[in-house]
Amino acid sequence: MSSLPVLRKTRDLKKAIAEAKRRRAEDKRPVLTVSAGTCGRARGSLKVIAALQKSLKSAKMESKVRVRVTGCHGFCEAEPNIILQPQDLFYQKVDPGRAGDIVLQTLKKKKVLDDLLYRDPATGAAAAQEAEIPFYKKQKRMVLGDNALIDPTKVEDYLAIGGYGSLLKVLTGMAPEAVIAEVKSSGLRGRGGAGFPTGRKWEVARQQKASPKYIICNADEGDPGAYMDRSLLEGNPHRVLEGMMIGAYALGAREGVIYVRDEYPLAVENVTLAIEALRGLGLLGENILGTGFDFDFKIAKGAGAFVCGEETALIASVEGRVGEPRQRPPFPAVKGLWGKPTVINNVETWGNIPLIVAQGGAAFASVGTAGSKGTKIFSLVGKINNTGLVEVPMGITLREIIYDIGGGIPGDKKFKAVQTGGPSGGCLPASKIDLPIDYESLAAAGSIMGSGGMIVMDESTCMVDVARYFLNFLRDESCGKCLSCREGTQRMYEIVSRIAEGKGVEADLVLLEELAVAVKDASMCGLGQTAANPVLSTLKYFKGEYRSHIRRKKCPALVCKEVVSSPCQYVCPIGQEASTYIALVSQGQYEEAYKVILKDNPLPSVCARVCHHPCEKSCRAGESGDPVSIRAIKRFVLDWAEANGVRYRPEPVRQNKEKIAIIGSGPSGLTAAYFLARKGYRPTVYEALPTAGGMLAVGIPDHRLPKDVLDREVEMIKAAGVAIKTGQVLGRDVTIDGLFRDGYKAVFCATGAGKSLAMGIPGEEAEGVLHSLEYLREVNLGQAVQVGRRVCIVGGGNSAIDAARAAHRQPGCQKVSILYRRTKAEMPALAEEVDAAIDEGIDIQFLVAPIKVITAYGKATAIECLRMKLGDKDASGRRRPVPIEGSNFTLPLDTLILAISERPDTSYIGEGDEIRRVEENIHIDDETAMTTRAGVFAGGDAVTGPNTVVEAMAAGKTAAEMIEKYVRGLPMQRDYWLTRPSVYVPAVAVPEREAGEVKRPKIPHLSLAQRRKNFREVELGMSEPQACREARRCLRCDLETADAKAAIGAKP
Amino acid sequence: MDVQTDRVTAALLKHKSQKKALIAILQDIQAEYNYLPPDALRAVARSLSIPLIDVIGVATFYRAFSLKPRGRHLVTVCQGTACHIRGGPKILEEFERKLAVKPGETTPDNQFTLETVACLGCCAIGPVVIVDKDYHAHTTTLKVDGILKRYRKTRRPS
Repeated sequence: MSSLPVLRKTRDLKKAIAEAKRRRAEDKRPVLTVSAGTCGRARGSLKVIAALQKSLKSAKMESKVRVRVTGCHGFCEAEPNIILQPQDLFYQKVDPGRAGDIVLQTLKKKKVLDDLLYRDPATGAAAAQEAEIPFYKKQKRMVLGDNALIDPTKVEDYLAIGGYGSLLKVLTGMAPEAVIAEVKSSGLRGRGGAGFPTGRKWEVARQQKASPKYIICNADEGDPGAYMDRSLLEGNPHRVLEGMMIGAYALGAREGVIYVRDEYPLAVENVTLAIEALRGLGLLGENILGTGFDFDFKIAKGAGAFVCGEETALIASVEGRVGEPRQRPPFPAVKGLWGKPTVINNVETWGNIPLIVAQGGAAFASVGTAGSKGTKIFSLVGKINNTGLVEVPMGITLREIIYDIGGGIPGDKKFKAVQTGGPSGGCLPASKIDLPIDYESLAAAGSIMGSGGMIVMDESTCMVDVARYFLNFLRDESCGKCLSCREGTQRMYEIVSRIAEGKGVEADLVLLEELAVAVKDASMCGLGQTAANPVLSTLKYFKGEYRSHIRRKKCPALVCKEVVSSPCQYVCPIGQEASTYIALVSQGQYEEAYKVILKDNPLPSVCARVCHHPCEKSCRAGESGDPVSIRAIKRFVLDWAEANGVRYRPEPVRQNKEKIAIIGSGPSGLTAAYFLARKGYRPTVYEALPTAGGMLAVGIPDHRLPKDVLDREVEMIKAAGVAIKTGQVLGRDVTIDGLFRDGYKAVFCATGAGKSLAMGIPGEEAEGVLHSLEYLREVNLGQAVQVGRRVCIVGGGNSAIDAARAAHRQPGCQKVSILYRRTKAEMPALAEEVDAAIDEGIDIQFLVAPIKVITAYGKATAIECLRMKLGDKDASGRRRPVPIEGSNFTLPLDTLILAISERPDTSYIGEGDEIRRVEENIHIDDETAMTTRAGVFAGGDAVTGPNTVVEAMAAGKTAAEMIEKYVRGLPMQRDYWLTRPSVYVPAVAVPEREAGEVKRPKIPHLSLAQRRKNFREVELGMSEPQACREARRCLRCDLETADAKAAIGAKP
Repeated sequence: MDVQTDRVTAALLKHKSQKKALIAILQDIQAEYNYLPPDALRAVARSLSIPLIDVIGVATFYRAFSLKPRGRHLVTVCQGTACHIRGGPKILEEFERKLAVKPGETTPDNQFTLETVACLGCCAIGPVVIVDKDYHAHTTTLKVDGILKRYRKTRRPS
């Protein structure tokens, strides 16, 4: 192992350290430092090392280069990583296959391999040196930094960086009291979680008369998500041992026990080797270095019990007993292991001791805040880009840790909360992002420092689920001694589980808080006393999320399986049972599928063509492949029904209830009217235009939604008992007051957002400049509308694409360009529409903003534009386009169509109407859908501004529910139901050859030639075999709930 | 299972038959037999002069011990917090589905025992699954089949 002599006197140690330092300084060979802690190995660093050694051998460079196998460097995301010394060159995510290049290019030819360098994900800038990497820049790696300098299995490496110099200093010139004074003056607080002042603990133990005394290193590190102790113990065990020996000397202890958890085999191995090395050097045993100091180590392994992280439970475990805590006082410093004075400290605490002795307590205290001195190692894990161990000065803010060091949240998702302190801690929400991290501030915010675990959560984490997770952990790990903890954690878990399953009630929240207080007060040890923290802190900051589960049966993060059931059905604004009708299709039961669709949707063929399918976005199959083509399957069912003359025949209803007036025959108004008719009311729809359908009729061109398809569905709605009166304008032909006078008991305003927004650029009023809504209306109503040869569209939404594809189909038009000020990724239009436009030859220019319409004789002839580049994010979360100075260019055109946005036109509302608006949008109560005027409801784009078809339909469905309650005098409370299918369709057997299929089918479309200059429907729909095969790809999430399993009796 | 007394005795001797080494002794016996046979527990109780109920108390308190024989391969799915929010429960469910056992149980053909662990300290590579001594990083539900297939072929733990 080492060729070091046995050290018998203190001067021998001094010499050994000096020698080791000298040898290292004189060895000028480059060093390849490879991180090989547990995670590094799991990612293949041993293979990388083997490959490097092989390459060095074949290049005959083995003796010219040192390969140093170290522990963890902290930047876990970049594992396996290599640091080449002396240039501090950092290579990340190294594959064994690159070993050859590293040896031949970098070592031999001094060429840097660019692709192995760290790159900033936002800017793409490369960082060659570790010190330049943002992850490391703000860190102060006083404890963990040495990991990169030593091979933990070689004690001479530790000596070569001055290791055991602090022990030497203590043994040759510091009285035990002086050591304790130094630790006290440093302000070091226990790093295990409680943060008790270390110096004071030592002092108390020192003052005890009983003997023998013991020291213990608590390396149980049970907090899930915390692994800094593992890293230190694996990577620099001598640092911890040195700290412990200094402590033993100060205390007068002869034996030190290192209690390592069972789940850390490499740490156990490296500590064992380190202790053996010390024995070999003569640094353990009796009369160490002739100073009269007797000391030795013992290793005790944990056996999988979280509670053994608690000091008295740990001591019980070392004594061979069940790990049950006991009452304190007396504290271990007074009566600990075997009833004797014992100082028990955490790994990181011990790791700081050599540093404090070397630089002095005052220097140590110069880092950190008033109450929290020094640095702390945090494990930054979860939803974070730069997962790893970060060591930072106390007082750094959360923002710096998460964004500057951590690199922010992956996928640009929103930061939601960070859990600190493990199961004993609490969560800090986004509002606390500027909190300086130290013991006091964390406690004040309702959390704790704990061992340093920082688990970052984003918008796809459910806080109720997090609370449930921790409670599950705690009730499992509770030793059972105290009733309050044993029963309390169990009951709290049951209550939170009920809430997570959508079965909670409001009273549960009160009960939960009462229980939490009881558990905290009556439990004997830290586990029970802090067991309520995760629940209490999530309730404090995320009560809305709990309420959502309880009241609305919704899990906003889409995590709680029992609440979500099938995400497709769950997220559908009108609650379509997608998984049910898909399952029926897979069973060949098309008529049943048709009925399932129709029961919730009066405009199914419309949706099957134009819906923006939020169901597909949340489809679980999309997590590991293409989402199921839900919209296309729906279209197949409807086309089949139409082709086979199948009609929806719901139970006939006697319409003998009140008259209800609906303004607007768009998707919102039609849906409200339909469901009111189904409930027995007599709805009349007043439509301003000559044709019914709203945007469906005059916004969406026929090549997407053929007129006859829409008309057929409008007829079905009429047949259900809805009267539609066209050519009726609110404010001119009818008024709200007038409607009430005529006996209508309620009015639903669904007038949409039909007013185009002006751009505000010079020349906008010129001839040849159209607004997309007006243009599309004229096209759809069959009115003559001329566009020129060259057409430019400004905008990036569906309206812009519709206008572009429509213009392109008109005679005379030869070239269509769309000008959009951001990039394709930010375009709000449906991706498939954008792709279709590009296929059809429409030129989309990104990062272009028009600034002026150039005219001649009052007619538009060209458009002057500026090129843009993407800057910082704006309020909508998208990166704001920033003009590039002097990049002006002009595009000649004959027609300019503006499609930048729409607004509602609610000018029909006057002072006397008592209907509150927010700018142009009608204001409604979220719960009741009612405006500020009794009996007048509103929904759809008139309330939200431009939105989607299905959301407008959902507003109509809600309005129907609330209008009924209003008219019947019932409490104006919405009904919320747990998402469940109306029938559990058994799973279909998937043929072997389809089992691994993750791709969607290609849906037949008209060829480009067939689309030229006409408005024929472009999408043709799937064939029967295609539809059935695609339906079999469904993962049947609806069968995953406990209800489903009970209903089907299937084995899990 | 027939407990070979000399293997149990070896474990006891290694720790000088000290009462305080009970946990370490049980760990060594478990390493030998892959579980704690009841006869071994009786032998330990006798040898250390500890009531059998106390030995069983320790054996059942600590999660690392199994009183039931374990399968040829031990599949441990991490359920730590970081692995949890990265989808750990789904991975566990997939293993449960594929092996048709719950955590703590062994498949009827004695090939696999499924267990969970609260945290392995490898959060950067989560969700983590260990099979015997092999760490599997960034597990997904799609990878579960492949992982099991690898071990079905081998006779002894790798």
